[in-house]
Amino acid sequence: MRRWAAGGLQGLAVAAGAGLLLALPQVATRDIVTAVFFALIFITLAVSYDILGGFLGYLNLGQGAFFGLAGYVLFILIVKVAFLQHLGPAGPALAVLAAVAFTALFARLAAYPLFQLRGAYFAMATFGLMLLLGHLITNLGGLTGGAYGLYIPTELYLPLRPAYTLALLLTGLSVALNALLARSRLGMGLQAIRQSELAAAAIGIDLFRYKSRALVLSSLPSALAGCLFALYSGYIDVQNMLGAEKTLFPVIMAMLGGSGTVFGPVLGGVIVRAIDVSLKNYLVLPVPALGIYGLILMCIGLFMPQGILPFFLRRRL
Amino acid sequence: MAPPAVQTVVELLLGGVSLGGLYGMMAFAFSLALATTRILNVAHGGFLVLGAALAMLFFRFLHLHFLLGTLLLLAIFLLVGLLFEGAFVRPLMGRPPHAVLVGSILVTFGFALALEAFLGFYWADLVDPQPSFTIPFPAPTLQVFGLTLSGTRLTILAIAMLTAGLFHLLLTRTKMGKAARAMSEDHEGALIIGINPRRLSIRIYLVGVVVTAFSGILYSTTAPLEPYSGLPLTMIALTIIVIGGVGSLPGALLGGVLVGTAEVLTTFLAGGAWAPVVYLLVFFLVLVVRPEGLFGVREA
Repeated sequence: MRRWAAGGLQGLAVAAGAGLLLALPQVATRDIVTAVFFALIFITLAVSYDILGGFLGYLNLGQGAFFGLAGYVLFILIVKVAFLQHLGPAGPALAVLAAVAFTALFARLAAYPLFQLRGAYFAMATFGLMLLLGHLITNLGGLTGGAYGLYIPTELYLPLRPAYTLALLLTGLSVALNALLARSRLGMGLQAIRQSELAAAAIGIDLFRYKSRALVLSSLPSALAGCLFALYSGYIDVQNMLGAEKTLFPVIMAMLGGSGTVFGPVLGGVIVRAIDVSLKNYLVLPVPALGIYGLILMCIGLFMPQGILPFFLRRRL
Repeated sequence: MAPPAVQTVVELLLGGVSLGGLYGMMAFAFSLALATTRILNVAHGGFLVLGAALAMLFFRFLHLHFLLGTLLLLAIFLLVGLLFEGAFVRPLMGRPPHAVLVGSILVTFGFALALEAFLGFYWADLVDPQPSFTIPFPAPTLQVFGLTLSGTRLTILAIAMLTAGLFHLLLTRTKMGKAARAMSEDHEGALIIGINPRRLSIRIYLVGVVVTAFSGILYSTTAPLEPYSGLPLTMIALTIIVIGGVGSLPGALLGGVLVGTAEVLTTFLAGGAWAPVVYLLVFFLVLVVRPEGLFGVREA
């Protein structure tokens, strides 16, 4: 009974939040809408990170690789394939589909080396994958623009309003995906693997198939987020698509809010973005922001490995 | 005089092997800590950068006497090892194995980023707007059979070989080394026969940080280190132990020489920008082809 009531309350809160966010562009200034747009992009990354980090218990330090790869494939297609620019809005849409499909294929292939590993080795390998991608993009200047980055024609830029609406939709879908996954056979299989790989294998779960599906699923929302971010910015380079914060933020957000819960990464995302915006715009401290995030990560690991949401839920129930 | 081609080949080989010896030293320190305490220290590469930065500060900006400066560095590195172990390793030790691995990544990754950011920021603010750590080491060149050999690289190679020998003695002749080997082979078993994990872990971090930080100083005599070089260096250490096996001294040296030579050859043939691509590709290739490592990796 209490559970049911709590579920109803949660649903109400989600609906109210979604309504508020949908109405935001009508009432808020452009700065606020932009800030919320970036927050939504990062929350999507954190939520999709948690498919591996939360359900499967595998620490993916390379979630940003999907984000960056999709953005780059998208821009390369738009810039190099001339006829896409003459299709109107259908051109970029087609390119987005191709970029997301390519990223999913990349995730499927990356599963082969990555899932040879567990625990900390897996985490470091995912970080290595992201570094490798960054170096390749910097070195293959003919294709990727190298250190100069890539631009698309201004008429293909995605304006803020539609970008915001699409980002909101994407975040909603990403959260829904995790909620569905929590109840699905795949999601339960992943949780079984997290608790014991040996026991999961013994009850007939195909470990590699489950893990690689989780990786591919987690790559999809991140890839779409990368495409949205790139189309809104109109310009990409290695720093803004594959920089350290694209790897760092999803992990910090999910771990801070509560990894393995549907709304934990969302809560963590809101907190981290609030810190980020206030650090960069309001508090002018003589300290580098990256250092602050490092310290936050350190403190989570030491004092709060469970995250905020499970910490309070455990208290209440 | 030897023909220029021979001179080039010998130079490349010496460069690769001396860099490899240096990599082997720092990778073994990383590997030993991982094998005995099960803590994967992402901040390991940061110790090389820290060593180079402090040495540069002491010798190039404060002009300390060589012996005084070295002793001071040694004292600081020992203190760093002690504090690092106490603050980040000890609190994680009681947790279950999976929590230890994940916790160690979060904590040490966070520390590595904070170190990188603060070092870069304050160095740029207080010392030099372009933080880049190098220490000139004017060793005379050596003439052998008409070949010119770099004294700096020969010194590095000699120090690396000496360190490897000392590591070997430490592992086989001392109580601490035997305890470390027992601990990496069978954690529970080592606890049962009365090995104190806390004392062992402190000693391993003391030795490890000193060796790693001094490797960083040696590194900076041939090429500059930057504040953000730390994480890539940790990746290099990880590549080496994936090749050579966790806790294996010969594996670390061989893996180090392989990676070092590959780096020097790639830099010569294709430019320095491709060197990280090569070692990262080697890393993934080894994982796909021989997931247990070229010389057998134990599941830590």
